[in-house]
Amino acid sequence: MIAIDFAFPLANGLHARPASLMQEACLPFASVCRFRNLRNGRHADARSVLELVASDTAAHDACRLEISGADEKKAGRALRAFLRQDLPRADDDLPTPAFATVQTAWLPPVFQHGAVSVLPGRALAPGIGSARALVLQKTRMVALGFASGKKDAKKELRLFQDACREVEAELRSQAAAAKNATAAAIMKAHLAIVSDPGFRERIIGLISRNKMPAGAAIAKTTLVFCGILRRSASAYLRERAGDLEDIAARLGEKLYGHLAPGSPHPERGPRVHKGQRPHGPQVVVAASLTPSELLALDRRRLRGLVLGDVGLTSHTAILARAFAIPTVALPAPAIKEVSAGEELTVDGQRGLVCRKPGPALKRYYRLERMKLRLQAGQLAALRGRPAQTADGLRIEIAANIGGSKELAGVWRHGAEAIGLFRTETLFLERETAPPEDEQFAAYHQVAISAKGRPVIIRTLDIGGDKPLPYLSLPQEENPFLGYRAVRFYAEQPELVKSQLRAILRAARHGNLKIMVPMVSGLQEVRLVRRLLTEAADELRLRKIPHAPRLELGIMVETPAAALSLDHLGKEADFFSIGSNDLLQYFLAVDRGNARLNALYDPLHPAFLRLLFQVAGQARKAKRWLGICGEMAANPEYLPLIIGLGFDELSMAAPAIPLIKERIAKLDGEACRALLRRVMHCTEAAEVAALLKEFNGRGRAAGVIGAGLVRLGSASRTAAEAIKELCDLMELDGRVDNASALEEAVWKREETFATDLGLGFALPHGKAATVRTSSVAFLRPRQPMRWGGKSSAPVRAVLLIAIPATTKGEEHLKLIARLSRRLMHEDFRETLLAAKDAKTVLAAIRTCLAAK
Amino acid sequence: MKIVAVTACPTGIAHTYMAAEQLEKTARQLGHLIKVETQGAMGIENKLSAADIQGADLAIFAADIAVQNRERFANLKIVEVAVQDAIKNPAALFNGLAE
Repeated sequence: MIAIDFAFPLANGLHARPASLMQEACLPFASVCRFRNLRNGRHADARSVLELVASDTAAHDACRLEISGADEKKAGRALRAFLRQDLPRADDDLPTPAFATVQTAWLPPVFQHGAVSVLPGRALAPGIGSARALVLQKTRMVALGFASGKKDAKKELRLFQDACREVEAELRSQAAAAKNATAAAIMKAHLAIVSDPGFRERIIGLISRNKMPAGAAIAKTTLVFCGILRRSASAYLRERAGDLEDIAARLGEKLYGHLAPGSPHPERGPRVHKGQRPHGPQVVVAASLTPSELLALDRRRLRGLVLGDVGLTSHTAILARAFAIPTVALPAPAIKEVSAGEELTVDGQRGLVCRKPGPALKRYYRLERMKLRLQAGQLAALRGRPAQTADGLRIEIAANIGGSKELAGVWRHGAEAIGLFRTETLFLERETAPPEDEQFAAYHQVAISAKGRPVIIRTLDIGGDKPLPYLSLPQEENPFLGYRAVRFYAEQPELVKSQLRAILRAARHGNLKIMVPMVSGLQEVRLVRRLLTEAADELRLRKIPHAPRLELGIMVETPAAALSLDHLGKEADFFSIGSNDLLQYFLAVDRGNARLNALYDPLHPAFLRLLFQVAGQARKAKRWLGICGEMAANPEYLPLIIGLGFDELSMAAPAIPLIKERIAKLDGEACRALLRRVMHCTEAAEVAALLKEFNGRGRAAGVIGAGLVRLGSASRTAAEAIKELCDLMELDGRVDNASALEEAVWKREETFATDLGLGFALPHGKAATVRTSSVAFLRPRQPMRWGGKSSAPVRAVLLIAIPATTKGEEHLKLIARLSRRLMHEDFRETLLAAKDAKTVLAAIRTCLAAK
Repeated sequence: MKIVAVTACPTGIAHTYMAAEQLEKTARQLGHLIKVETQGAMGIENKLSAADIQGADLAIFAADIAVQNRERFANLKIVEVAVQDAIKNPAALFNGLAE
């Protein structure tokens, strides 16, 4: 028997997707593979997705795979490779459950006006949606008889297996037809459940041995697995119970027709209460809604979802986010209060539902929607725009991919290039090497899809951990320090040249480059150069069209390479740091070892010094420098990355929009200054503290900007004006969360109203959400009553936002000066008479600049 | 008249300084000498010295929170008003002092 110990690498634990990958990895072998969770003692057949999921494995759990059988050695090698390479990446494009929500229970005063009834819940998908309620009936499991009508186990079994086949076929075609990648992935996860041996064999056993009706067997098995899942420590795993119930319902539907428990009716539409108007925009209210039921709803009319006890990472919630349907989960008693046909506003920002919102609240939500629309526009604009710092430094943002399947998501997220195309998938899990034409097809597809954008293809990066039957690599004690990647190219020139030929051919159709992994010396690069020349010569001889030359880069992942860029630059056109491996080789820390987690820190001062040196050498050698490890995708590290002067950052595609947004707010010179300070730090914690301070300070320049002035506002009340001003602050990147500022401002306003009796109101707040002290100015179309006893109507509002900690805040002085200046009539008149935002800005800036 | 004053409001961001400015401006117009200490978010600024206080005829506190180091003014007549009053109607405040 072979035992492999590992720490579970994924943050969401062992859920359906990694479990189905693990199952796939075990399937080719005859050996028995058992998965053990050493933390909780649970074990599972590694071929059963459900048993794996039910093992309740969380991030960092100590785990063991035990493999025994005739081909255990082969299986062991393959699974070791799987655990090392594929498993940690299984969630790379999982839609992140984190989205910007309002993290406060506080509600603005406008919610207390009139007869609004507010039902607090949890936000599952962001956005605001208003429409009449369409209430769907709750279904229950009911006792079911024999599907065949009589107690005939054989017949019952056949019917069950027919039902399984039908559901499988349905799911397969739904997955293939799904336009939305998330929906397709969920259908595939459901397919894994229905085909799961643990699930199916238990049902078959109950039918054939215990002579149970198929429905009862399904219900019982579902109950057992749901029970295990619901007891799980991980919220994500608990929510997989909903998927299981969905499958059970679909099977029931096939066996019994629409009488089955919780059966969805994709063709017939949702179950609707009598007397409800089924047309027009609607907010669907359902205590439970399975993913397939959600897919069956008419999404053109769907403005929002109000669900019962559903979690953030349930597939129903994931789908709602993928389709951008504002969704809120309400506790069981609250959801019953909603009656069919009444108007609802679903607030997926705050996580609440308003029944019968009045005009004031509707106006308030109109502002909220406007902000969300503007924010979406900002993100969309970022997607199309190249990444650039506030002071105009251009940085290319690229995506890492493992296969052509990921291409669509890459461009949708706004990648400007592919910085790392891992080609290993083309070579794994096959008996013979992939023919050149097959490789060409894959590279060609990427080249076409990139439409001229650069694509960096990493040449074969395989070692003893990933055994290939057609490539006899020795079994090694430590394959990560072994005979791998470029190190075996000399012995396998034909294999490497087939890849190079395929790339050379595809490069006629796009901007392809190659990158060589695991380089530790110049002779390795010279070897690849030679192979590249030979490959091109062979193509010429065979008269096959190909690109005349290819840029050749080096993946900098060994310390040896990192310290010899000046030499390597003689043969290489570019460098890209593989920060994950470079860090583990440099610090001598195995990144898969949970005990060493704390040591595997990219902020280690020695590592930052190494990067500093590498960046300097790359500049000296006049070669561009990229980075394609996880470090590049972390927005917290970004100031250091910018300070180091990388030309390109490559990351998992979903990380791209946020990174672009953050880059736009950074100042290159400030980042370099930070880096100089960091170079003197003696430990990682010190670096982290400096970074935290830097990131907290925010990069918005000055206390006011063009985005913070609004003239001719439609706001009619203090509530609207304050909301609008706080939103301006958020849109301008001054505060992270407008609502948190709004709360602070209202708390201040409650001690006494801040109108001065001079036609001006000066609301202000101090809050942690404020990145940098700022003022925003608003002039309403019509003078408004502020709410204080002051008789003078307010004609201008100046909102001041101050960070929670203001030590050494230069901006405070400016705001004090501005406040003093407002006591002078001439200044007030200028602000009131100004014809445009530019004049307002100029007046305020002059005041701030005065001594 | 020689006047010393302290302004202080809960957040110390805007009203403290508006009240100070208003007091200084109005005192100048009315021909009084005034020195205003602000107790705001930036701490105590334009601090009143013992000599300032000793030489003054009276003190004005325009404050919505407790004035720091209040004992300094033990031997002085103190007129206390809300910050709002100093901002909205400083003339009335000074007229009151004359009586």
